[in-house]
Amino acid sequence: MKKIFNGLFYVLKYILLIAAFALTLFILIRMNVRLEKDIMSVLPEFIPFAVLLILFIINMFFRQSFVNGNVFYNLTCCLVLSTIVCVSLRSIMDTNMVLNAKYGYGVDFNFFDNFIAYIKIMLYGLSIANVLFMFKKEEKPKKLKNA
Amino acid sequence: MKEALLEYANTFAYTITGLIFGLAFFLLFINFYHMQELSETYDISTYNDTNKASVEEKVNIIKNNINVYDQSTYKGSLNIYGLNTIKLKLEDCLEIIESEDMMKYFELDEIGINDSYNFTVDFKNKILNDCLVMQVKSLFNTDTVALLPNFNIIKPYVELNLETLLDSINYVQSNVENSDHYYFSTDTNKTNFFNLIEDSYTDTMNSYQNSLNLLVEVSNWYKGIVLGG
Repeated sequence: MKKIFNGLFYVLKYILLIAAFALTLFILIRMNVRLEKDIMSVLPEFIPFAVLLILFIINMFFRQSFVNGNVFYNLTCCLVLSTIVCVSLRSIMDTNMVLNAKYGYGVDFNFFDNFIAYIKIMLYGLSIANVLFMFKKEEKPKKLKNA
Repeated sequence: MKEALLEYANTFAYTITGLIFGLAFFLLFINFYHMQELSETYDISTYNDTNKASVEEKVNIIKNNINVYDQSTYKGSLNIYGLNTIKLKLEDCLEIIESEDMMKYFELDEIGINDSYNFTVDFKNKILNDCLVMQVKSLFNTDTVALLPNFNIIKPYVELNLETLLDSINYVQSNVENSDHYYFSTDTNKTNFFNLIEDSYTDTMNSYQNSLNLLVEVSNWYKGIVLGG
C-alpha cells in the first residue's frame, strides 16, 4: 500500500511541477508584458523551480531511494505544487475576485502577488530538505541475536 | 561524530518538510475557504422590494415638486433663469436615477460580491458624481439661483450633506477591493462585525436613499419658492 501511494506521489510531483511552472510562467510573463518590463527580469522568480527540478533529476538518475522512497517528502511536494497550481488557476479563472474584473487583464495580479513569497519559501524549503535527505545514513541490517 | 551529524541532518530535513507541509496545507485550504466565501450569494428580494418602493415614492415627490413650475404659465416675480436651471438639473438627476443602469439593481433577488461592488461603483459614478456633484453642487454655484429666496438657508444644508455623502462609501469600495486578498472574513466576523457582501450592499443602499432624501429637500425648497413667489 505504501509503495502504491509513494509511486503515485512520485509521478504526480513531476506532473505538478511542470503544471505549476507553466502557470507561474504564464502569469509572470503577462504581468511583465502589462508593465512593459523586460522578460529577463522575471527569471529570478523561476530559480526555485529550476533548483527543485535539478534535484528531482539528480534523485531520479542516481536512484536515491532515501528521497524517492520517502512518502512524506513526496506527499509534501505534491501538496506544495498543488497549492501553486490552485492559486495560479484562481488568479486566472476566479471571476468572483472583483479586481480581476475591474482591471480586465484576465489575471488577478494582486491576488497572485501575495503568493510569490510563499511559493519561494515552499520551493526552497523542499530543495533544502531534498539535499539533506540525500545524506541520510544507510541503515545497517539488524543483527540476529544468538540463540 | 559523522553519524550524529547525519542523524541531525535527517531530523532537520524532516522538520523542514513538516513545516512546509503545514504551510502548504494551510494555504491550500484557506484558498478553498476564500473561494467558497467569495462565491456566496445573499437573498435580498424583500430588502430590494422595500427600497424600490421607497425610491419610486421619492422620485414621484421630486417629479411633482418640480412640475409646479412651468415657464409658459409662470406669473411670479422670481428670476425664471434660476428656476429653469433648477428644474433642468433636477430632471437630469431623475433621468440618472431612473436609468436602466441604476434600476437594474432593484430587480436582483440575490447578490454576490461582484453585484455588491458594481452597485457601489455605479452609485459613486452616477448618483454621487453625475447627479449630486455635476448637477446639484453646480446648481448652488449659479448666480441666477443665488438670487432666489432662502438660498442662504438651503445652500449650507446641501453642501454639508454632500460632503457626508461623498465620503460615505469610500471605505465600502476599498473593503470589497481588499477581498481579493486573504483573510476575507470568518464566520465570527460575519455574525458580529461586517458581512462584506450583504453589509456593503446595504451601506451603499443607505447612502443611495440619503442622496434621494437630499434631492427631495432641494425639490421641496424649489416648490416652496415657486408657489410663494
